[in-house]
Amino acid sequence: MKRPWIGVFKFTSCDGCQLSVLNMEDELPDFVSLFQVAYFREAGDMPLRGRFDIALVEGSVSTGWQKAQIIEVRERTRHLVTIGACAAAGGLQALRNWADIEDYKRLVYPSPDMIETLPCSTPVSDHVYVDYELWGCPVNCDELSEMLGSFLLDRKPGIPAYSLCMECKRKGVPCLLVAKSEPCLGPVTRAGCGVLCPSMERPCYGCFGPKEGANIGSLLEAFRNAGFSSHECVLLLDKMNTYAFREAGTGEGRF
Amino acid sequence: MKRVFSIGYLSRVEGEAGITAEILDGKAVVRARVFEAPRFFEAFLRGRHFSDVADFTARICGICPVAYQMSSVHAMESIFGVEVEEPIRQLRRLLYCGEWIESHSLHIYMLQGPDFYGCESAWSDRQYLPLARRGLSFKKLGNQIMTILGGRPIHPVSVKAGGFFKIPDKKTLSGLLPDIERAYEQTLEAVSWAASLPFNDNDWDWECLSLRGPNEYPMNYGNVSSNKGAEKPMADFLEDVREYQVAYSTALHAEIKTEGPRPYLVGPVARLNLNHDLLPPEIKAAIRQCGIRLPMTNTHMGIIARSIELAYAFHEAVRIIKTYEMPGRPSACFEPRAGQAVWITEAPRGMLIHHYEIDGEGLVKRCAIIPPTSQNLGHMEKDLNHFMQMHMGEPANVLRKECEKIIRSYDPCISCSVH
Ligand code: SF4
Ligand code: SF4
Ligand code: SF4
Repeated sequence: MKRPWIGVFKFTSCDGCQLSVLNMEDELPDFVSLFQVAYFREAGDMPLRGRFDIALVEGSVSTGWQKAQIIEVRERTRHLVTIGACAAAGGLQALRNWADIEDYKRLVYPSPDMIETLPCSTPVSDHVYVDYELWGCPVNCDELSEMLGSFLLDRKPGIPAYSLCMECKRKGVPCLLVAKSEPCLGPVTRAGCGVLCPSMERPCYGCFGPKEGANIGSLLEAFRNAGFSSHECVLLLDKMNTYAFREAGTGEGRF
Repeated sequence: MKRVFSIGYLSRVEGEAGITAEILDGKAVVRARVFEAPRFFEAFLRGRHFSDVADFTARICGICPVAYQMSSVHAMESIFGVEVEEPIRQLRRLLYCGEWIESHSLHIYMLQGPDFYGCESAWSDRQYLPLARRGLSFKKLGNQIMTILGGRPIHPVSVKAGGFFKIPDKKTLSGLLPDIERAYEQTLEAVSWAASLPFNDNDWDWECLSLRGPNEYPMNYGNVSSNKGAEKPMADFLEDVREYQVAYSTALHAEIKTEGPRPYLVGPVARLNLNHDLLPPEIKAAIRQCGIRLPMTNTHMGIIARSIELAYAFHEAVRIIKTYEMPGRPSACFEPRAGQAVWITEAPRGMLIHHYEIDGEGLVKRCAIIPPTSQNLGHMEKDLNHFMQMHMGEPANVLRKECEKIIRSYDPCISCSVH
C-alpha cells in the first residue's frame, strides 16, 4: 500500500501543537512508518513539493503572506486538518482583533513601520475550506492519534463535541461552579482535555474552545449572578479562543 | 568580489527564520532573517489580571512554557511580597527539570543530532534510529514529570502565583523514580557520546551571562553573572541591557549597553561555564573522564553542554523526589498590591527576563519580556561572521551546511524571540 503523504505546516503560533506530534513518543515510530512525512520544517529538512493526502495546519493567519500561503497549502492538500486553538479560532493573538493594531505595534517595536501584519488574527477556516478541526491549546495527543488513525481507516474520528461538564461529571469531580460559585467555563467548553483544570480544583479557562451549540449567554448570566461584572465576564472568555467564543456568543464577534 | 548565499527557511529549528550571507571584498556579513509573525503579547497583556499572566505568557512557546510560567509567577510574588514554602520551591524546580529534560532531549536527539550523521531528520536514516529512540525515551520522562505536576507537558495548568493549584503526594512522585534513575545513568553515559562528536575549531573571545546560584545550579534564583567577572542582582540587570530592532527581523535583539555595546551569549554553555563547580561530584567526574575542559571556549559545543545538563536534570529530579515532603497547602495566601519587578529564570535556552508593573487592582500596567533567543541573536550573527571570515574559500553548499549547524547549536527558539 502506498503510504499517505502528510505535511505539517506552521502559521502564527507557539509551535506547541506541532510539538504534540513529536510528543506522541510511543506512537511516533508507527506514525513515521504509516505516513510518508513529506513536509515538517521543525523536524527535518524537506523541500515543499508535491501534493499531500493530509495536512496538519498549526497557527492562525495574521500576515499578508500567510493568506497566500494557506491557499497554497489548501491547493496541495486532499484533507486539511487544523490543529489547535490558533488555527481553529485565531489563538491568543486574536486579542488584537478588538484593539488598534497600530497601538499594538508601537507598544512592542521601536520602529513600528517596519512591521507588516494584519489588523486581525483569524482562523484558517476564514480563508480556506477545512476538512476537520482539532481543538485545544494545545491539542490532546490521544485526540491527535485518534484523528490520524481514523484518517488511515477512512472513518469519522471518535472525538466528542459535547461539553467538558459531561466529561467532568463522568469523572466524579466536585463541581466548582455549583459548590463554590467559581467561574468555570466547563458548560460551554468542548470536552477532550481529560478535565485537567477542575481535577486540580481550578475552573476551566476554555482552552478547548466552545462546544457545539454553546449557550454562552446563560452561563454569563450565572456568572453575573455570582457577582462577576460584565467586564470580568468578557475577560474570562477573551483568551486563546476569544474569536470563537465571541462568535458563539452573538454570531457577530460581540457580546 | 561579491558572493551571496542564503537559506530561505531553516529546518529543525523552532519557528520561522532563514539566513543571508554576503561576502564582499573579503568581509563576511551574515544576517539571521526572522520572519515569524508577531503576536504582540506585551500589548494584549496590558489591562489583564495578574492571574492570567502565567497562562498567557506560556503560550509564547510550546517548548518552554514552564519557563514563562516560572519567570512570571516569581515576578508577581516579588511585587506582592509573597514568601513561598520550601517544598513548593522544590516542586517548581522539579517542574523545571521536566522541561529541561523535554527540551534538551528534543534538541540533542531530534533537532541537532541528525547534523552529525548527515541525516535530513531523526527518522530519515535507519542508522540514526537507535539514537532517536533513546532521545524519545528521555523526552517522554520529562513530559511525565510535567504531566504529574501540571496535568500536561505543553502549557501545564497547575502553576499560579503563590504556588500551585494542586500538588502531588510523595507516593505519586516516587512512582517515577525507577525510570528516572535508569535514565540518569543512561544520560550520564551519553555525555561521552556528545563529547566524541566532531566540532570545528572556534576559539574566540566572547562574553556569556547566566544566573549564578549561591548554592545550586541555577533555575529560578540567582544573580546575573558574566564570564568577564561582573555580577548583578537580577532586579538591576535591565539597566545594562538595550533591546533594539533591525530591519530584517521581527524579533528584537538585545545587547549589553554599558562600556561599549556588545552581544552576549546565554544558555547551556553560559550556565555550565559559570556554574560547573555546583554540579554533583559524579557528573563532574564524568565530564573529566570524557576530557571535556571547562569553561568551554567553543560556542558550537552546545550539544555537549546540553547533554551534561540533561544528566543533571535527571539527577536533580531524583534528589527532589527523594527528599520531598508534601506541604500542608499548595499555595501561599496573599493580597495583590501595586508595584513593579524584574525576574529572571533559566529557560532551557538561557535567561528569560520578565518585567511587570502592576496597578492597585492587580492589573498589568506595563510589561516587557526578553526571551533567551532575542538575547542570543546578535551573538549568533557575530559567531557566524567569525566562522565565515575563517572559511570564506569553501564552496557555498559547505558553508551553508556549516552555518545551519552553528545556528542549531544555539538551539534558537524563534517563536519565543518574536512574541
Ligand atoms: S493552539 Fe496553543 S499550543 Fe497550539 S500553537 Fe496555538 S498557542 Fe500553541
Ligand atoms: S467543575 Fe466546571 S466542568 Fe466540571 S461540572 Fe462544574 S462547571 Fe462543569
Ligand atoms: S479544563 Fe478547560 S482550560 Fe483546563 S485544560 Fe481542559 S479545556 Fe483547557
